Amino acid sequence: MKTVDTRGLTCPAPLIKTRQGLNEASAGEDVEILIDNPTSFSNVKRYLSDNRLPYTVREEGSLAIVTVRRGEKTELSVNETEYCTTGSEEPAPKVRKTVVAVSSERMGSGDDVLGTKLMVSFFRTLVMLEPPPAAVVFYNAGVKLAMDDSPALDHIRELSEKGTAIYLCTTCINHFGIRDRLPTGSFSDMYQIVNILRDADHIICP
Amino acid sequence: MSFDLLTTVETGGCSAKIPPRQLEELLKDLHLPADPRILVDISTHDDAGVYKINDETALVLTTDFFPPLVSDGYDFGLIAATNSISDIYAMGATPLVALNIMMFPSSRIPMEVYREILRGGNDKAQEAGVSIIGGHTIDDYPPKYGLAVIGTVHPDRVITNAGVREGDELVLTKPVGTGIILAGHRLKMTTPGQLAAAVLTMKQLNNRGAELMARHSIRGATDITGFGLAGHALKMARASDVTIELYMKNVPLLDGTYSLAEQGCIPGAAFRNLDYTEGDTLPADGLDYTLKMIAHDAQTSGGLLMAVAPERSDKMLRDLHSSGHPEAAVIGKAVRRREASLILA
Repeated sequence: MKTVDTRGLTCPAPLIKTRQGLNEASAGEDVEILIDNPTSFSNVKRYLSDNRLPYTVREEGSLAIVTVRRGEKTELSVNETEYCTTGSEEPAPKVRKTVVAVSSERMGSGDDVLGTKLMVSFFRTLVMLEPPPAAVVFYNAGVKLAMDDSPALDHIRELSEKGTAIYLCTTCINHFGIRDRLPTGSFSDMYQIVNILRDADHIICP
Repeated sequence: MSFDLLTTVETGGCSAKIPPRQLEELLKDLHLPADPRILVDISTHDDAGVYKINDETALVLTTDFFPPLVSDGYDFGLIAATNSISDIYAMGATPLVALNIMMFPSSRIPMEVYREILRGGNDKAQEAGVSIIGGHTIDDYPPKYGLAVIGTVHPDRVITNAGVREGDELVLTKPVGTGIILAGHRLKMTTPGQLAAAVLTMKQLNNRGAELMARHSIRGATDITGFGLAGHALKMARASDVTIELYMKNVPLLDGTYSLAEQGCIPGAAFRNLDYTEGDTLPADGLDYTLKMIAHDAQTSGGLLMAVAPERSDKMLRDLHSSGHPEAAVIGKAVRRREASLILA
């Protein structure tokens, strides 16, 4: 484990030290970043997820400890198709497993009409993503997007046809009483949702 | 001059702006006056307001001020004035007169620095043909300086964010990267040459670009400042009801910008700007992360981004190259309105 101490530093120094630490760490070594500047904390997280570097966060008072996990993942339920054997001793880079987690029927907050429009647009665009995401998980009010009268339903169907797994939170469906209005997707419980999210290489939360 | 103005601030220049999303939220409830003589107001997020006096003349008004972004008072004055006047040029107008706006801690910084800042502002105003005819000072820390500028334009020849047409090519007159270079300088990661080049571009008036816009009958343009290349292009696309494609590989960069950004030297303002654009921006497949962040780097006193009809863009580029903008380049195109206002490729 390598530790990068950015305490007392302001933007963009913590990000630069994070980058340095990641460069210097040996392959597979986790990197722990100590940050006490809230803006830098949020920017470092953003930087890591944009660069598809999985991390965990622990907060102790005003100090945040971000641990970048660089170890080999063994638990992932990797499909054969995610590897392609080239015949040489070097395996080709693994296709990253993207999971989309949808917790609301709207994208962002501020204006509800706009938020709905953005979410539909998000799904329309998601269909164009190559390769398509491995899974989309809908929970809380997000499940309403998969309802029979949802403006996003056609795009969700298209995703499903392209091989994306669609998971709907059963507790949420029951809460809203919409079980008979969901033409697509498989019902799933919290255990499955937690596993899907854990096994993702990165997660998109619109 | 021994006093280092950079010791007074954490972020300087246009990096000190309020986050664009927050600003839009704050402004949206303001009641806009309905007066036919107001040709341009904040509703199109333009660089300056335009008020029609008669059929021949419209007034163009703007103000801009910020905390220090360089150590030297004289340079700070030059840059702040260049930046303030730039909004007048971006509207296709001619700047005439200005007022100083100064916040200065008289008990904490030698008054000599105050004089140097004003001298810089005055020298730049003179170069632009602008007379500074007054001003206002408040005792405040850290210092801030800028101008309120008035210019004039023919009411039919106002250049706005809303004047971009489908098919137009987008020409950028100055290299990008001032925010990243200045942040790198504060962390001692730049060479003196890299800093000097950034300071030089921030001190360069956009007057020649504005003259060429008039000669080529340009209708759509903006100057690139705090919201970054992506933020300003997005505002243009929305105001003109087109989608703008930016080709980041064609964007001229200040020396050192790419390597600094790659090392993580990405100022907080770039993340704020990213927050603003990303709901309405489509990053193309395989867009380089570093270039994406450079597109969001807050610029101080940046270049003009002008929409040029494709058949005129070669001539425009040649003219710019021979008028002090050797790095001017076509960096994008306006296309038919798509779902996203901006495409970063």
